[in-house]
Amino acid sequence: MLATANPNDAQKNYLLAALPEDEFTRVKSKLEPVSLKLGEVLYESGDKMNYAYFPTTAIVSMLYVMENGATAEIGVVGNDGVLGVSLFMGGETTTNRAIIQSAGNAFKMKDKDLKAEFAQVRVFQNLLLRYTQALLTQISLTAVCNRLHSVEQQLCRWLLLSHDRLNSDVLVMTHDLISNMLGVRREGVTLAAQKLAKRKLIKNLRGTITVVDRQGLEEAVCECYSVVNNEYNRLLGRGMSRTFSKREPC
Amino acid sequence: MSKPVKQNPPIANRILAALPIKEYQRLLPKLEQTNLIFAENIYKLGDIIRYVYFPTSGVVSLLARGEEGEMLEIGVVGNEGVVGLPVFLGVETSGNHAIVQGDGTALRIKTEAFLKECGRNGSLPKLLQRYTHALLMQVSQTVLCTRLHLIEARLICLLLMMHDRMKTDEFKITQEFLSKMLGVRREAVSKSAANLQQRKLIAYSRGIVSIINRMALEAAACKCYKILKEEYANLQG
Repeated sequence: MLATANPNDAQKNYLLAALPEDEFTRVKSKLEPVSLKLGEVLYESGDKMNYAYFPTTAIVSMLYVMENGATAEIGVVGNDGVLGVSLFMGGETTTNRAIIQSAGNAFKMKDKDLKAEFAQVRVFQNLLLRYTQALLTQISLTAVCNRLHSVEQQLCRWLLLSHDRLNSDVLVMTHDLISNMLGVRREGVTLAAQKLAKRKLIKNLRGTITVVDRQGLEEAVCECYSVVNNEYNRLLGRGMSRTFSKREPC
Repeated sequence: MSKPVKQNPPIANRILAALPIKEYQRLLPKLEQTNLIFAENIYKLGDIIRYVYFPTSGVVSLLARGEEGEMLEIGVVGNEGVVGLPVFLGVETSGNHAIVQGDGTALRIKTEAFLKECGRNGSLPKLLQRYTHALLMQVSQTVLCTRLHLIEARLICLLLMMHDRMKTDEFKITQEFLSKMLGVRREAVSKSAANLQQRKLIAYSRGIVSIINRMALEAAACKCYKILKEEYANLQG
């Protein structure tokens, strides 16, 4: 997939789209389109980050990495957000690995440009700060979900979060990768996926998972999913869920 | 139960202490001293944040709520940080519960006054940004710790984080509280605590924990503790 060259595509990223026209024009000149492949690592734990990424169609998974190599996903970033919060928060490195969970496009911005825009453009700054709060909620709820909910519920949550950030119903994804992300054994993932397939909520074939019954998944998922969604809606003016607009506000 | 701060006290909160003296003095008349009392709710989920707290001693626990009111501690704040961070991030309500986990004191400031200072482009926003980064790391670490580590190692981690933030080797903590923080059943907490007591790392009776062998506790803690400690040590850059 070629990187898209039209800078206006950057508005497919909701954060960038939320900028007033003149600010967007300004920020646009600092953006560079990039195409990202499944499994590509944008940065490793401990790396200095040279770019922030605003995904438009790609999904990036942030994995926390332990010294012994064990990993667990702490959050996902798609067209709802930006990868590189640490940059404008003044942390030079993180203990996260950022890996592409779904191939697609993004716009990247140089470290120093991001810092400069953050410092100079109040509306950009406010947006990024609010996004940080939404991300904090997402990560917190991942912890809650890990601790309190079944692998099956977690898989539902993970599938819905991914589905929300995709333009299709098909996720290219192996159980191995999901097991790394959820921090559970592959057998656990396989078992949970089989159960969901049996209930006809998903189809699971050769490295792909197809969402068959979106509503069914939403009924099977734990509360963590809607809490995160409500927070995104409250903070950023729109929930990420594909069906969010049909829901009762809470 | 709060009174205005009369003169310049030794600044025990590290964020306030890192402010240039001019900025600190500008803030000082707005700060009032308040007590942090064990088990007191500072904010509940969804509460409007009227005050921002800079703990000078004691520990505040941040709890996220799962279904049916289950809780899980996602981070702790002591004198290295601030309670009420959402306000800085542009959100007026609290996204989690903030409960006092260890008695202490704090300097608090009305949200409007706090925001006014943040808008002045001084050093406070930069310090708060770095603190946000550290808190993000702490919450991320919690994700992994709750997933991969045993209850005992997590209990130790929690006790060490508290010990770092309390001025004493003894502090109040109930098993019910610990079970909430760790998101596990009370029996599991009892068992782990009894085990640590048997190994003479802590003493525990009638809701009071005494840290007896800090070094051995550190050796038995999961890696998460060490990583977080370094993260916070780097806070002031």
